[in-house]
Amino acid sequence: MLISPSTQCAVHRTTLAAVATSILLMSASVAVHAQQTVGAVIGTPVAPLVPGRIAPAIRGIAIDERIAADHDVAVGDTMRVSSEAGTAGEAVIVRAVVRRGADPSEVARSEFRIRLHLDHLQRLTGSDDRVDRFAVAVRPEAGAAGVDSLLARINHVAFGFRAHASAAVAVESSRTFQVVDRFHRAIGGITIVASAIFLLCILLLKVEERRRAIAALRLAGLSRRTVALSVIAEAAVVAVVGSVVGAGLGWVVTVGVNAYYQRVFRTPLTFAILTPRIALFAVTLSLLLGISAGALAAWRLVRTHPLVLLGR
Amino acid sequence: MRATLAYASLRRHPMRTLLAVLGLAIAAALLIDMVMLATGMRASFRSLLTSQGYELRVTPRGTLPFDTEATVGSAAALVASLRAHPDIDRVSPSLGSTVQVQRVDRARSAFVLGTQPDVQGEYTVIAGRAPVGTDTLMREVIVNATLLTSLAASVGDTISVTTGRSAQLRIAGVPARVLIVGEGRFLYVPPGLPAFSAPLVAVQTFLGDAGRDRISLAMASVRADTTSASANAERTEAVRQWIEQTHARVTAISTETAIVQVEERLAYFRQLAFILGALSLVIGVLLVTTLVSLSVNERLGELAVLRAIGVPRVGVLQQIMLEGFILGIAGVTLGLGLGLITAQWLNAILRDFPGLPADLDFFVWSAEAAWKSLAMLLIASTVAGAIPAWRASQMRVAQALREEAIG
Repeated sequence: MLISPSTQCAVHRTTLAAVATSILLMSASVAVHAQQTVGAVIGTPVAPLVPGRIAPAIRGIAIDERIAADHDVAVGDTMRVSSEAGTAGEAVIVRAVVRRGADPSEVARSEFRIRLHLDHLQRLTGSDDRVDRFAVAVRPEAGAAGVDSLLARINHVAFGFRAHASAAVAVESSRTFQVVDRFHRAIGGITIVASAIFLLCILLLKVEERRRAIAALRLAGLSRRTVALSVIAEAAVVAVVGSVVGAGLGWVVTVGVNAYYQRVFRTPLTFAILTPRIALFAVTLSLLLGISAGALAAWRLVRTHPLVLLGR
Repeated sequence: MRATLAYASLRRHPMRTLLAVLGLAIAAALLIDMVMLATGMRASFRSLLTSQGYELRVTPRGTLPFDTEATVGSAAALVASLRAHPDIDRVSPSLGSTVQVQRVDRARSAFVLGTQPDVQGEYTVIAGRAPVGTDTLMREVIVNATLLTSLAASVGDTISVTTGRSAQLRIAGVPARVLIVGEGRFLYVPPGLPAFSAPLVAVQTFLGDAGRDRISLAMASVRADTTSASANAERTEAVRQWIEQTHARVTAISTETAIVQVEERLAYFRQLAFILGALSLVIGVLLVTTLVSLSVNERLGELAVLRAIGVPRVGVLQQIMLEGFILGIAGVTLGLGLGLITAQWLNAILRDFPGLPADLDFFVWSAEAAWKSLAMLLIASTVAGAIPAWRASQMRVAQALREEAIG
C-alpha cells in the first residue's frame, strides 16, 4: 500500500555519538512517503519497519539511498523530522536504507524521500486518520472481470474517493515516457529517411564507379538480369553487414546510455534496450533499403548500352 | 569560370546531385532542429519566468514553485518583511490547493490559486475581468478555458466550490457560491488542468486550517539597478541571499537558478540534441566527402586534361571544393525550410509532456544559433571536399592521361 501525501518535512541529521552537540548538519526538504511494507531494503536495519509493531519512544524511519549517499547517513543514525522547515520537529532513528523502485514518473525528480509508519506520518503532519490513497489486492481467481466489477461497486458507493485500476494508474504515471517514446519514434523516422538517402547515394556512386567493368561483363555476354542481380546481391550484403555492425554499435551505445543516465538520474530504470526484435527490425529494414537502392542503381546501369558505359 | 565548371559537373549527374542535396538537407534539418531544442528550452523558460517582471521566487524551503503541496506559515509577516526591504519593488504572494467545483450536475476537482489581483503575476485576463475584493468570503473567480469547458460554463455563470469531502462522515465541506467574472490564461498551469483564481485572503479563509495565513509562493520584483546589467544581477543576488538568511523557512530562487533547476530535469533533451546535432554534422561531412571522392576518381582523366592545358593545381583544388560548397548551399537552404517544419512537429510532441506550463516551448527559433549551425555545416561540407580535391590537384598528369587512354 502506497500513501503519498506529498507533505514537506525538514530533516536534520545527527549521529548517535553526537546527538547533543552536533545537530542540524543537514537541512533539506523532502517529500515524505509512508508505506506499510518496505521494498528493497539495503544495509542492516537494527529494527526493521514492521506493521503493527508497538511504537517505541523514538520512532524508526527508512531513508532512501540518495539521503544516505549525499549526507553520509547510515542505519542507526539519528535525524530530526518536522512537517515544516525551520521548526524543531522530532528525533527519529534511521532503521533502514531503501532502494527506490524503477518509476518513470519520478525519474527526473531529484527530491529526497523518507518512509514512516502511517500513524507516525499522520501524527507528524496533523492528518488525523487520513490517507491519500491505498491499494487493494484482488484475489487472483477474480480475474480482470472481477477487478472491473469491484471498481464499479466501489465507485457506486464511494463518497469523497474514487477507485482506479492499477493499469490505468500505470498508464497515467508513465505519460512522461510515452511522450519521450513518441519523440524517439519521430527522430527515428527522420534518421531512417536520412539513412535511406545516404545508402542510395553511396550505392549509386559505387555502381557507377564500376561501369566500365560492368560494361565489359555485358559485352562478354552476361545478361542484364545477371548483372542487375549481382549488383542487388552486393547491395544486400553491404546493407546486412552494415546493419549487423550497426546493431553491435547500438548495443554498445545502450550500455553506455544506461550506465550514464542511471548514474545521472540515480535510478535502476533501463533507458535503452536492444531486443532481438529491434535488431531484427533494423536488419530487415536495412536489407529492404539496400535491395531497393541496389535495384535502382542496377536499373540505371543495365538500361544503358555497354559501349556508352565504356565512353565510346 | 571555376564556379561554372563546378556547377556543370554537378548538373552532369542530376540524380547523384539530387540525392546528395537531399541527404545534406536532412542533415541540416536535423542539425537546426537540435540547435533549436538545445537553446529553445532555456529561452522559452526564461521568457516565461520574466514575462511578469518578477526576478525572485520565494518557496517553502527546498522546493520549486508549486512542485509540492508545501506551504509557508505566518505568510503575512513574511510578505510584510519582504515588502519592507528597500530593494524590493513588488511582492506577489499566492496560495495553491485542490478543491472540488460543481455546476449543475457537472463536478470535478480543480486547482485554486489565491492571489492579490493588484500584483499577481500568475495569469493574464483573456475575457471579463480579474476578481476583486479584500474580504474573507470568496465571491468572484477567474477561471481557465479547461475549467470552463469541463463545467460547460461561461463568464457570468455561478459555480459552487468545496474544499473536500469526508468519506467517514459522508459530508462535503460547506460550498461557496462564486461568480465567474473572467477567463484567464494561467501562465504556469499545465494544459488540461482545470484552474481558477480568487483573492488570496478569501482562498486562505476558504481552505480553513490548511490555508490560514499560509502561502505556497511569493514572487518578488527587485528594483532595477540602471548602472549596468551586472550591477542589476548583483543586486538581485544580494536580495536573494538576504531572504534566505533572514527567513530560514523559505528558499529564494532567482530566475537563473530556476532555469538551471528545470534544465537539470530536462537535461536529457539537451544531451540528445547535442549528440544528434553532432551526428548530423558528421553525416553531412561523410556524405560530401564520399560524393566528392567518388566523383573525383571518376573524373581523373578530365582533371588531368585541365592540368595539361595549363590550369594550376590551386585551380583544380578550388573547382572541386566549389562543388562541395554548391552542394552545401543547396542542402542547407532546403534543410532550413525542412528543419522549421519538423521543429513544429517535434515541438507539438514534446508539449504533451505532463506537468509543464502550456506556454513552454522546446523548439524556439533563434536566428543567431540557427545561422551559426548552418554556417558550420556549410563550412564542414566545403572542407569535406578538400581531401579529394587535394588528391586530385597532386596527381601526375601524364600518368593520369595514360591510364585514362588505356581505360
